Amino acid sequence: MMPAKLWFVLRRVLQVIPVVLAIAALNFLLLHLAPGDAADIIAAQSGGATPEFVAELRRSFGLDRPLYQQFLFYIARLMTFDLGWSNVQQRPVFDLIADRVPATLLLMMTGISLALLFGTLLGILAAMRHRRGIDSVVSVLALLAYATPQFWLGLMLIVLFSITLGVLPSGGMMTIGPDMSAGARALDVARHLLLPTLTLGLFYMAIYARLMRSAMLEVYTQEFITTARAKGLSEARVGLVHAASNALLPVVTLAGVQIGHLLGGSVLVETVFGWPGLGRLVFDALLQRDLNLLLGVLFVSSVLVVLINLAVDLLYGFLDPRIVHK
Amino acid sequence: MIRTAPAGLILAASFALASLSAASAQQCGKTGGTLTYVYHPEPTALSTIATSAVPVAIISTKIYESLLSYEGAALTPKPSLAESWTVSDDKKTYTFNLRRDVKWHDGKPFTAEDVAFSVEKIVRPYSSRGRVYFGDLAALETPDPYTVVFKLKDAVPFFMNVFQPGETPILPKHAFSGIDVGTAAGVRGAEIMQKPIGTGPFRLKEWRRGSHIILEKNSDYWDKGRPCLDQVVLRVLPDGAARAIAVETGEVDLSPMSGLPEAEIQRLSKLPQIVTSREGAEALGPNMWLEVNMREAPLADVKVRQAISMALDRTRIVDVIWYGQGTPGIGPIVSSSPIFFNEALKPYEYSLAKANALLDEAGYKRGANGVRFKMTQNFLPYGENWLRLAEYIRQELGKVGISVETQSLDLGGWLKAVYTDWSFNITSTFSHNYSDPSIGVERTFTSDNIKKGATFTNSMGYKNARVDELFSKVARENDPAVRKKQFDEIQQILHDELPVIFLMEMSYTHVWNKRVHGLITNGISMYSSWAGVWKE
Repeated sequence: MMPAKLWFVLRRVLQVIPVVLAIAALNFLLLHLAPGDAADIIAAQSGGATPEFVAELRRSFGLDRPLYQQFLFYIARLMTFDLGWSNVQQRPVFDLIADRVPATLLLMMTGISLALLFGTLLGILAAMRHRRGIDSVVSVLALLAYATPQFWLGLMLIVLFSITLGVLPSGGMMTIGPDMSAGARALDVARHLLLPTLTLGLFYMAIYARLMRSAMLEVYTQEFITTARAKGLSEARVGLVHAASNALLPVVTLAGVQIGHLLGGSVLVETVFGWPGLGRLVFDALLQRDLNLLLGVLFVSSVLVVLINLAVDLLYGFLDPRIVHK
Repeated sequence: MIRTAPAGLILAASFALASLSAASAQQCGKTGGTLTYVYHPEPTALSTIATSAVPVAIISTKIYESLLSYEGAALTPKPSLAESWTVSDDKKTYTFNLRRDVKWHDGKPFTAEDVAFSVEKIVRPYSSRGRVYFGDLAALETPDPYTVVFKLKDAVPFFMNVFQPGETPILPKHAFSGIDVGTAAGVRGAEIMQKPIGTGPFRLKEWRRGSHIILEKNSDYWDKGRPCLDQVVLRVLPDGAARAIAVETGEVDLSPMSGLPEAEIQRLSKLPQIVTSREGAEALGPNMWLEVNMREAPLADVKVRQAISMALDRTRIVDVIWYGQGTPGIGPIVSSSPIFFNEALKPYEYSLAKANALLDEAGYKRGANGVRFKMTQNFLPYGENWLRLAEYIRQELGKVGISVETQSLDLGGWLKAVYTDWSFNITSTFSHNYSDPSIGVERTFTSDNIKKGATFTNSMGYKNARVDELFSKVARENDPAVRKKQFDEIQQILHDELPVIFLMEMSYTHVWNKRVHGLITNGISMYSSWAGVWKE
């Protein structure tokens, strides 16, 4: 490896450390801006409690210490990769997050990949049939899917498929109770996955379809398309090979950004379908002032974003040598 | 004579048989099956020691038991872990004889040591109401492994009410070996809070966070032939409409404790397969009111508070905002209280004219813009009904010239504003009467409960020496007739002085599928063991 490249990698990796620390500090301070704490909430949920009881809770949570001490304690913990203990749920934060990651990944990955596949195809189709019937249909449907509130769509799907037709479960991730073989369990989860995926996927599909269509239309105005047509290529080949491959870039870029959101899950879809994902974990933690859990999730997701950015930067550096020397 | 005797015997014997079969029929109409109920939020622990929030109390009372169980709305004590008991004449010594055939879910025997440990080391220091229940405990003795003697400093009239499975759960002493029970962190963080070991009819089988909890039948349960059900399952569905749909389609059997949006309860109640009931929560007595910060004018003026009370139409609040799920509020003790409600109270009438007159009389004339004075209101952030209530209050008080600005905070922020900072004018909230007003009502109205940072206490800054005196006497009075008189006077004073504006007696509505039987047994039915609940 050339010294310039080595220096570049080292510099970028070292830059990550202050960024992560700054994020940790910001998270900590932001969460402390919210009034009230977990001791109050636990006492209130128990129907009220004596001040001694609340004070004891606060002491045991470490919330009675000065803010700077709590902060130093938090940073010291992070240094050893210890995400701490959830005072509300009484479990290690790491376990709580790890419990929810599979459900979130399953839902988001299925939703986004299906959306990406069908959204792109519909976008290409609409662009290739620009200003014809199919284009209008795709455009109107995409607009509708984009504008429909997810929770409403989810409920309507439940009404249709669970109540009226009675063919799909209304919520949850699996049938509770019976022991099943791995294959039966997978099928069972797939059945439960269908409606939430559809709800989530339609929204993203609309985004990708619109984006792909407009990107295609823009590419169509460029000279190399004229050249391709002049060469006598079929319209299908011009569209699918020449235009589509060039128009894919913005869609891929957007999908890349959305991978960063994956970990957050979708609070709305998870709520309507009772899907045990991360989005709801964060939402509940926020309402319950479950500080360590919130800090944990925020920290993990921000580190992930920073690392993805780092990977992309490094990749750029190797792909485009000019960046290394800037 | 010779002929009748055997006939009598036969008759007696057949009666005995009949009553026996009636008793067992009552016990389990059918055995086996799974009862699935739906609730949100998910429990954060499986012990009411960690928090006695509703979702925790529902599920952990199937796992843990206390010395007593209860029958009827007024909570008549029945045997549970204690099979019999005696109370001394001065009502200061309670002796409980424990069952000898009880085992913990891990197979170890249950003894008096567990009771003493649970009460002294866990419930009294760490349960949110432990100090109210056992503050007067002078000594707790265990003369033998199956006898527990409670010696009180003063007679406590509600002492037989405190042995509810959610309020005074008995935990296994051996599960705390090696744990520092001197700190809340040690106790709350103990493994048993997440992996319970109880004596109850059901034990934990599986907990998938965010999705469900499965309890399975305790086959070693001391009450032979029970529980009727094989499993109790909690499904966590965060969306209210989705919960209602799950009940409607029969995917779940029960939504307890007003777990559905009121509009959905109203809709479901019309379906043939659904039963809705407001019974079975009489010993909780949720009561909704507006807490009034009385520290400053104009709310320090009783006439102003009375005017506010007369400017609000309780019938509309119940019917329109709460979809009929309640009754108009009258005083601090709910009218459904089987013993303590003062029938002589006259509800404030809804009259804008009288409210206007009272405000004029108090010296708050309308200004040029029609406004007498401005104030802010907060509301309990427990969902959209509370927001709609706030909207209604703003609109209604506007009619009598009180300009109200609504402030929206989430629970953490609201608790701090109302109970720590006292930085509010009025706020909606509710409070439970519990099984005795000395447990549930006193904390809001006595002046020694004006304590910064203690939630659901006297946020109003209300001080009345007579009320203080009465509450202190009634908590030590053992003559029921005298107690009733004392509570009557308390209710009259609070009704007249209005440190809080009484709005609505809320109801906990349970919605279940007709195929489920035996749910409503007492005033804390959802916080009872469900050992006798069965499903067709």
